[in-house]
Amino acid sequence: MKFIISILLLTSLAISHTCYADVSIVVNTANGGAISDTEISRLFLGKLKKFSDGESAIPINSKAGTAARVVFEEKVLNKSSSQIKAYWSKRVFSGKGNPPTEVDNDAAVLSFVAENTGAIGYVDAASVDGTVKVVKTF
Amino acid sequence: MKQKIKVLGLCSALAVSSVQAEIEFNGFANIVAGTTTSSDESLYGFDDKFDFKNGSLFALQATSDLGDGFGVTAQIIARGENEWSPEFEWAYVSYNATDELRFLVGRQRVPFYMYSDFLDVSYAYPWITPPEGVYSVPFDTFDGLGAIYSTSIGEFDTTVQFIYGGNSDDLVALDNAPADFEDLMGLSITINREWLTLRAGYIQTNMNIITDSGPLYAPWAASGFVDVANNFVIEDDTGDFIELGFQVDYENILLIGEYTSLTLDGTPIADADSYYLMAGYRLDNILVHITYGVDDDAKDSITGGVPSGVSPQLDGLIAVTNGFTNSLTQEQSYYTMGLRWDFHDSTALKFEYTSYSNDLDSTKDAGLFRTAIVTVF
Repeated sequence: MKFIISILLLTSLAISHTCYADVSIVVNTANGGAISDTEISRLFLGKLKKFSDGESAIPINSKAGTAARVVFEEKVLNKSSSQIKAYWSKRVFSGKGNPPTEVDNDAAVLSFVAENTGAIGYVDAASVDGTVKVVKTF
Repeated sequence: MKQKIKVLGLCSALAVSSVQAEIEFNGFANIVAGTTTSSDESLYGFDDKFDFKNGSLFALQATSDLGDGFGVTAQIIARGENEWSPEFEWAYVSYNATDELRFLVGRQRVPFYMYSDFLDVSYAYPWITPPEGVYSVPFDTFDGLGAIYSTSIGEFDTTVQFIYGGNSDDLVALDNAPADFEDLMGLSITINREWLTLRAGYIQTNMNIITDSGPLYAPWAASGFVDVANNFVIEDDTGDFIELGFQVDYENILLIGEYTSLTLDGTPIADADSYYLMAGYRLDNILVHITYGVDDDAKDSITGGVPSGVSPQLDGLIAVTNGFTNSLTQEQSYYTMGLRWDFHDSTALKFEYTSYSNDLDSTKDAGLFRTAIVTVF
């Protein structure tokens, strides 16, 4: 019983620690197509490989544990980071696909997206600069 | 020794290809400990002595993208129950013909169940292992060809998998009896939309299992009932397998169910009908779940065509044979209550208690407590 209580306490601590910043979905400035919320989520889950205009998409992840990644997974993918990890472990170990490439931080996401026409990433809304186009802010 | 050569072979293969292509390594591990709750009980390989070996495993996967749509993947698993001897579970060359169509040639998983593809990756599902009652076919892999077609129609993601091949590994579940499953072929269809997944699978194979045909073959053959006698030789017999499954993963609620039916014509082995239903509730990083499952293994009498009352010897033979086939039937059910705690980024802790009841032999009833640390890396 004591154990269960301490688990619940830990859990509530974990919840109160998550703070929600806004996260912006960014694409290359040359990317003119509209992208729906579902498409964003499907692109990052490897279920969709192309934008609506037929261009191949290169989703790019922020490193695990970064604020942008945590908020993106909670708000856009509607899953916890361990659920996303479990989802990708199913695909990796059955040879069905790999998670998006990871880069270190918001700055690295922005420069990758600025340099690759098919790229799509997410950064803290406060980090956005003129080198990329914001599709939507969550 | 064979194993060592295999491993060395892989190492040299890796060493050669590393010159040309990048190799990505991934792995997973399950450390499982369990004990039955009373001294005379045993269940799923556990008894009343706390054991860390049965059910524990380490796995390493190496993948290399060879370019032009070609790739190569090998997955090696070392299991505690096999004295940690490493075995290739997957070893295939893949070719992505298009974004939708992918071919695999080599050793891969038979798509029997909803969780076949990642059967050993405990991190990928709620339980410590998927319910044993349903996940009971004595082999999991095959050598051959697989074709996977994935397409999206609107928000419906459909995956169709076709396989053809065979498996000639000795059957560990049958005291390492030499076996040959030929013309193993099957089809599975998975449809997913947001929180709902539906799956159906059909697998058929030609079975050849070399077992001691036992004391029943000869007397039936001598009595002139060759058809009955042939049941005791598993040669060129057909096995059919059907699976139906669903999963609902809606916000905090998780519901999973699977039904399987295994028919083994021309053998004394009972046909197995099994299902389980699972309900889970997620509370942040904790998932609590409960599973109820039933296995009903029955067999139509193989002596149905033999007249009774002809001679005492024949009547005796009928009785012994029916007694034997009945001993292979089963009626059992189980409850499993479990908790999964994702306490770390890539590691989860699991606790499970299973209460098993055998409706034909209550001395086999058992309670099993298991705990596991599972991880992916």
